[in-house]
Amino acid sequence: MTTFLQYTLSGLAIGGIYALVALGFHIMWSAAKAVNFAHGDTLMIGAVLAVIGIDVGLPLWLACLLAIVAGGVFGVLLERFAVRPFLGGATSIGWMLTTIAVGIMIESLATMQFGGFSRALPSPGVAQAVHIFGAGVYPQELLIPVVALIAMAGLKLMQKRTLIGRAMQAVAHDKRAAALVGIDVDRIVAFSFGLSALFGAAAGVLVAPVIQASATMGALIGLKGFAVAIIGGITSAPGVVIAGLAFGVMEKFVEGYISTAAREIIGFSVMILVLLAFPQGLFGKKEVMKV
Amino acid sequence: MKHLHTLGFLAFAAWLVAVPVMAGNEYELRLFMLFLIYGVIAVGLNVLVGLTGLVSLGQAGLFALGSYTGAILATRAGFDMISASLAAAVVAGLFGVLLAYPTVRVRGVYLAVVTIAFGIIVENVAIEWQSLTGGTTGITSIPAPNAFGWRLSGYAFYGVLAVTLFLATLATHNLKTSRFGRAMLAVSQSETAARALGIDATGVRTLAFVVAAVTAGLAGTFYAFLNAYISPDIFTFSDSVRFLLMVILGGAATTFGPVLGAYLLTYLPELLQQFALWQKFAYGALLLLVMFALPKGILGTLAGLVKRFRPTARAVSIVGAVPAEESLRQPDKALAAELVARGLTVRFGGLTALSNASVRVKGGEVHALIGPNGAGKSTFVNTISGFYRPAEGDCELDGVTLTGLKSHQIARVGLSRTFQNTELFGEMTVLENVIAGYQRRLTYSVVDAVLRTPRMRREEAEARRVAIGLLAFVGLEDYANEAARFLPFGLQRRLEIARALAAKPRLLLLDEPAAGLTTQEIDDLEAVIRRIASLGISVLLIEHHVDLIMAVADTVTVLDYGQVIASDTPSVVQDDPKVIEAYFGTSLHGAEGEKVA
Amino acid sequence: MLPDKILRGHVLAATLALALSSGTALAQQQPCIGNSAAITGPAAFGGMAIKMGAEIAIDEINEKGGVLGQKLRFVQYDDAGAPPRGVDNTRRIAMSDKCVAILGGYHSTVAVAQAQVVNEIGIPYLGVLAANTKAVENGANPNYMFRVSAKDKWVARFLVEQALKASKTGKIAFFYENTGWGNGAVPDVKDAMAKAGKELVALETFNWNDPDMSPQVIRARDAGADVVLFWALDREGNQILRSMDKVGYKPTVIGAWGIAGNLGELAGPLADGVQVVQTFTFMGDMDPKKKALWDKLKAKYNLKDPSEVKMPSGVANAYDAVYILADAIKKAGAFDWKKVHDALYTVNMDGIVAEYKPAFVASDPERQDAILPKYYKLTVWVDGKLLPLEQTKYGKAN
Repeated sequence: MTTFLQYTLSGLAIGGIYALVALGFHIMWSAAKAVNFAHGDTLMIGAVLAVIGIDVGLPLWLACLLAIVAGGVFGVLLERFAVRPFLGGATSIGWMLTTIAVGIMIESLATMQFGGFSRALPSPGVAQAVHIFGAGVYPQELLIPVVALIAMAGLKLMQKRTLIGRAMQAVAHDKRAAALVGIDVDRIVAFSFGLSALFGAAAGVLVAPVIQASATMGALIGLKGFAVAIIGGITSAPGVVIAGLAFGVMEKFVEGYISTAAREIIGFSVMILVLLAFPQGLFGKKEVMKV
Repeated sequence: MKHLHTLGFLAFAAWLVAVPVMAGNEYELRLFMLFLIYGVIAVGLNVLVGLTGLVSLGQAGLFALGSYTGAILATRAGFDMISASLAAAVVAGLFGVLLAYPTVRVRGVYLAVVTIAFGIIVENVAIEWQSLTGGTTGITSIPAPNAFGWRLSGYAFYGVLAVTLFLATLATHNLKTSRFGRAMLAVSQSETAARALGIDATGVRTLAFVVAAVTAGLAGTFYAFLNAYISPDIFTFSDSVRFLLMVILGGAATTFGPVLGAYLLTYLPELLQQFALWQKFAYGALLLLVMFALPKGILGTLAGLVKRFRPTARAVSIVGAVPAEESLRQPDKALAAELVARGLTVRFGGLTALSNASVRVKGGEVHALIGPNGAGKSTFVNTISGFYRPAEGDCELDGVTLTGLKSHQIARVGLSRTFQNTELFGEMTVLENVIAGYQRRLTYSVVDAVLRTPRMRREEAEARRVAIGLLAFVGLEDYANEAARFLPFGLQRRLEIARALAAKPRLLLLDEPAAGLTTQEIDDLEAVIRRIASLGISVLLIEHHVDLIMAVADTVTVLDYGQVIASDTPSVVQDDPKVIEAYFGTSLHGAEGEKVA
Repeated sequence: MLPDKILRGHVLAATLALALSSGTALAQQQPCIGNSAAITGPAAFGGMAIKMGAEIAIDEINEKGGVLGQKLRFVQYDDAGAPPRGVDNTRRIAMSDKCVAILGGYHSTVAVAQAQVVNEIGIPYLGVLAANTKAVENGANPNYMFRVSAKDKWVARFLVEQALKASKTGKIAFFYENTGWGNGAVPDVKDAMAKAGKELVALETFNWNDPDMSPQVIRARDAGADVVLFWALDREGNQILRSMDKVGYKPTVIGAWGIAGNLGELAGPLADGVQVVQTFTFMGDMDPKKKALWDKLKAKYNLKDPSEVKMPSGVANAYDAVYILADAIKKAGAFDWKKVHDALYTVNMDGIVAEYKPAFVASDPERQDAILPKYYKLTVWVDGKLLPLEQTKYGKAN
């Protein structure tokens, strides 16, 4: 029972990371029908900048705040210079490759900065493990899925209550119609990329104390976050968050009861099977083909 | 362009012969052989990415499958390199079919993610299945290259690789200029139109995946023999990105682009070594630069420049063309096709778009289908042409049941259609669009296409003559070599009709062909419809434009709220109070037809 | 094409035909030492360490006039940890640069891949970091693969010995990364345990970048292991320690040198008492020889504190390897692969890591390795620093 709970809690912590990354993919996709393929590196930017901030002597809260803001700025710039020129092309190869290219460059910069090592981000959240019915977990880990849920709820609230949130939904629904009613579509898309990068960088800062900051920390998380977003249905915010948490828990149980080695094989096979059964993802909306 | 390609192949062959003579040392030659292997992958991937427009980020997975199959057969079962590579190609090809299956349901980014997942699964299986693959340490001691019991010298191995790349390039070039390549391009540019022309989109995609997989499988085995060692970390996601980049950098859909891309990216790491710590950064920056400066790749951009400075003649000579009257004439007007739709009901969620609609298009007549916006006209058209499934009812063409068939199968029964929002293959020329319409009448096989057999040439020549005749029929022969997307709107409509006719339909379905046309163009259209009908082709015309309907239709059927409210000759329908009410909401006697539009 | 160029082409072709078919090159080798290592990517510090050690040794040798009257050069290429690039670099060093020998890099997978091509070409190879047993003990004869570094087989024996000493219950668990290095060590550790008449109670693996190891840790804990052996790098080592902390499991941890980087910084107090095997360290008190090397490093690479050298064993191994090579070249009397290979078995000298008396033994396939287990040192993490065990409270407790 304790073991079962341990796997669930550890899985939720990992799943929370996937959920936050997947949420970023959801926001970008809704606005632009394009994503930052290297969104995992946004997470890395947040974590790495926070560590650098500490290195130069900033207090923890300020270093984290600056790192998150810098992440957001990065998202806006990325959209403007690497994604927007390729929107509306016949295939998605353009923005896929440009964002991958930016990811490679950033990873290389971070590698040079850290010399290939991973670095710790100090946080009171990992000072002492807490025990819940015998299962040990850091408070920071418990925080991650909670933040993912809050972020999702916040996003929903913003889409319902604020002007810009409603404009985002309008753009997601129909770009041309949104432009016709006077919404500046380009700005909404840029804002969406900024927002998702903000989420990504915040996720980085949040997970760095648990998984350490390093140049390569984002690569696999990014790919899995994307896979999770597709499984959950990239058009649905609750869908991707639920899928993210579930995917994390599933991984831990595979590790615990089958084998560590089988994790990737089972995880990605499940992803392909889900897509075959539900082409729009588990919670995604079906798009009616117009002829 | 044709001569350019011949010259290109000659130069390519000369280069492949010259390199081993010129190479300074064994290392240089080895590196060149590595390029030859990458070239084979890139050329195959080009069929998938360049021609069919599908993004694969899992090519390293297929490459790995080929590599491991070849290496395991060679080390465990004592296969020589040639038989191992053929077996590897078969295994990879089977996985290609498997990978193509998801395209039935998912496209675009979704498909990209499926291919990424595939690559990661293969990599991890290679890591975990230690008894077979050697796990993370991989497979060592792969024997030296050998064929049929003979050990191959370095030069002989080079020869095998060079010949393989040359033939692979030639084969994909021939494929590209055949009905199969045209079908791939058509599917990637407008799947809807391709299906309506009788092209089996799933089959085409499967073929593309198989080509990409077989070449990757072959290359994989050669790679294993060249390196004498393979391990899972040779086949990662970033390798898949690199293979894709080879195609894009050289020029997707061009013949030699992937070869050039593979060459550049094989030698790039050598060059980047001097950047030491910065080399990964430089690689990323270069990738970015390519996407901005040369989005069509090096050869794609070059071809664009050549076209700009030495434009080909826009018109095409109609000498030798088969006149449309000859190519389209049905054997006997009395046998013209009859379309019968019985009790069709179509629902979208809670909305009933079509309710128990029955329509009969008699053989050889021009039958107009009218109704206010939202009456269900488009739904009706899309249902009989197989894009929607009816909940109830059925339809048949000359006794052949259409319900339940896929749209490309319906097209093959003899139904052609145009689209309300034109669905041309924008990147193809006007003439190629019409030849694409002829597609289902071409019967030569993949082997004929790759070898360019006399049969293939004969059929292609015939297709071209018929297509030119059809262009003349709709008055577009002066635009034959123009890219379709540059045509003025009115001419695009005519091109769509010519393309639909190229399939030699027995029933032609025109979906609002007059929308957006000028009065003059509508008059021309009227004449075209009459001439089509005179050839014994039944026409179902969906139209708002009452003048046109009055002028050409033999029968008019009126739809309202998904139901047939009238079906008779134009003059009778015009005075039907139900019809007038449907259009104006009240019974307004003496409503003039023009206002209806 | 000009006539003389045609001629040249034919001559070249003929040479090549010979070269390609026989696998031996004919050209005279150059006074350069090549190296293929990761100088980009996560293990870039490994390539840096080799560069430091090799360059300092080459500088010293050149100051004294070089070898056979020629100055040595160092050529380093990046393989980013990828075996195919390592193989390409090996060919480039042997055939294009025509170096007299090649130093190995950080990654075991690369070393295993290089073994085949090195023996095919017949260029002496001295591994200075990668410890995979089979890379050097590959069954080839003559074998051109040598090593001046730790060998997993011996490391495993050494660590198992230490583990059994530290264990009260005799129950030992083994955690290894799912890479060529980690998997390569599994049979070595199992053999070492079998020799001691024991069996591992838990055998657990993990991937790079795995953020949580609680399932593995729980299994080891439930199996009752009180000593855990690590074949891990710092990042994953830290995750294991943290997962242990979470599930309240506090065994003695002894690791191979992958956790000799910055584990102390990552894991904080959790790292205290974690023991690591090394061949060399600059930490703690330095003898004069060591001090001299450190001073040169400090000056040449702008360092301040010994802890900035992330892989001191790599620096020292490369330093010794260059001296061994130089000595072999002198004894061979020529820059010739075959002669240098044979002369390597006659080298007899004192190094900074070990006494090489002799460096290699031709008759013993196990002695293609120069550093014997008796020179392995245990170091231990204390307050973020990796100190020689005997200079700490952990050493004294033993």
